Amino acid sequence: MQTLEAMNVFVEETGGWVASQLEACTRCGMCAEACHFYQGTGNPEYAPVWKLELLRRAYEQRFTLTGKFKLLLGIDKRISDEDLDHWSEINYYACTVCNKCSMVCPMGIDLGPLLHEVRAGLAAAGKVPDDLMVAVNKQIEEGSPLGMTSEVWDSRLEWVADDWDVVIPRDVKGADTLVVFSSIEVMKFPSNIAAIAKILNKAGENWTVSSKAREVVNFGFYEGSEEHTKLFLQRVLDGAKELGVKRIVVTECGHAYDALRWLAGNLIPEANDFEITHITGVLGELVGSGRIKVKPGFFDENDSGTITFHDACKIQRRGGYIKEPREVLNILAPKSFKEMTPNREEAICCGGGGGVIAIKAADPMRYAAFELKIEQVNKVGATTVTMSCSNCRLQFTDGVEHFNLDWKITGLAQMVADAMED
Amino acid sequence: MNWNAFLEFVRGPLFQVSLLVFVAGMLYRLVRVLMLGWSRDNVPSKGSKGGGVVKSFLKSILIWPFIPWVKRTFSKNPVIYLAGGLFHLALLVVLILGTAHMLVWKSLLGFGWATLPLPMVDWMAAVGIAAMVALLIHRLVNPVMRLISGPSEWANWTLVFLPMVSGYMLTHHMFFRYEVLFSIHMLVVDILLIWIPLSRISHFIFYFFARTIHGVEFGKRAVNP
Repeated sequence: MQTLEAMNVFVEETGGWVASQLEACTRCGMCAEACHFYQGTGNPEYAPVWKLELLRRAYEQRFTLTGKFKLLLGIDKRISDEDLDHWSEINYYACTVCNKCSMVCPMGIDLGPLLHEVRAGLAAAGKVPDDLMVAVNKQIEEGSPLGMTSEVWDSRLEWVADDWDVVIPRDVKGADTLVVFSSIEVMKFPSNIAAIAKILNKAGENWTVSSKAREVVNFGFYEGSEEHTKLFLQRVLDGAKELGVKRIVVTECGHAYDALRWLAGNLIPEANDFEITHITGVLGELVGSGRIKVKPGFFDENDSGTITFHDACKIQRRGGYIKEPREVLNILAPKSFKEMTPNREEAICCGGGGGVIAIKAADPMRYAAFELKIEQVNKVGATTVTMSCSNCRLQFTDGVEHFNLDWKITGLAQMVADAMED
Repeated sequence: MNWNAFLEFVRGPLFQVSLLVFVAGMLYRLVRVLMLGWSRDNVPSKGSKGGGVVKSFLKSILIWPFIPWVKRTFSKNPVIYLAGGLFHLALLVVLILGTAHMLVWKSLLGFGWATLPLPMVDWMAAVGIAAMVALLIHRLVNPVMRLISGPSEWANWTLVFLPMVSGYMLTHHMFFRYEVLFSIHMLVVDILLIWIPLSRISHFIFYFFARTIHGVEFGKRAVNP
């Protein structure tokens, strides 16, 4: 029965774009070499093409003559409940949907969105890992997977405003910009809230936060459930509508930006009424235009060693904010900023995205993938790693502790705020 | 066995039937995919979708074949990379610029073109065959390749390899009489033509879809595809 649910989703989602890309695959296996989970563990089942196997089988058996023929001959098997369990582990434990594989596919298949469809089928069949599902349910009930209820939100924000001595405009009707934070920032990196507030205040932005749209994290998107994704997107949009803002700025959270910027408008048409942007773009604009003054070379003088920038899959490769962080860092640390290789759209993912970090059983894979990152950072000799995604930052912070590394982990907004002239 | 009569059959009626199956089969595959429906993207773009598509194809045509070392995947597995590239190059050279094949095209299309001297085409054919052997070894020993290879993949390799090797033997009059080798070459070509629409060798059509989608997805995000 579960299989039927999954098959229904696979069949429903199989439009021309899914079919034509599945048909283009030559099974050359090159995508494996791009996957940080395959490289980190050597497990051939982590090859992206193999992660897609369920979607391929569903498509071929339902829509193609060859597929039906293969089924008849017993060459291909029908999808069973055991298969769903097996592919649930492969897809949720060892894939961050970072889309690096699509960069190396000779056919140019955009594997990330196809892998998301596999998750959609697994979610419909109820085959989402427990840890992830607990978080999804928590977000449905409490409004946040990290337990950031309305009361917690109020007290955290008051505490940040007091402790960092910064004004955070809350629920201001008629503000131009709504800033939507992730609970990772509110609960784990509160100084990021203060940093962004300081920057926006300094720039004279007419901005606000919303208690209705307090959580931008979208665990429904990790899960692959369109229903839950939509529910969480709707909460953000409702908050924006209520306050009458023109622009929504997503802070340092990757998948939330991906969902709100590139998916919301196709699920909920009113999302297209807002300009949806990412804080990295805002920082680039504010620093570049001189609307906020930063001390040039601030981090060179502070002798913080080599600084490198980690590209997040959803903000750089799938978000397009690639040059902005470089422009900012070349002002803040022209001497000490060094690039890792590969970088930009070719960057290696942190290994913690796609909900992987929320799943305890995925820890071994997550750390194995992170070892690629360690090698990259050490090669460039960096002691400070900065980034524009707090999910990556969580993975780096945890990785630094797990592997006992002597690195400083920070965020781009934090660096800009630190280097701001009074 | 009357090889001359058999040759007439495999290069005559059977070849025509195979061609028909090939063309009709590929058209069916194409229409089938087109008819599945294409959802509209209503989200405003950050960059240019069209620009992304152009870059996506340029990368595939100029960067991948000529400067592959910009890719980490190349440095991880250069032999396979080169084998894949050389196989496709050899295929195009032999099928389009080989005199014997051009004459087949001429009989089908009604016009011909200048071809390369036989020794050059012959060398390319040898390179193509060597590349196929390298790809087979890779498929046999690499754990990922073993995992993703089923009967269809082995059939693909075999049915592409047989026309190549029989054609090579034919050119060099190796081991068997001319009509025997020619008959076998035509027979395996006929089988291959019927097999293509049933297999992933048909990627030469869907490649254009995937490359375009890739370009659109990256272009709209203002990222280099």
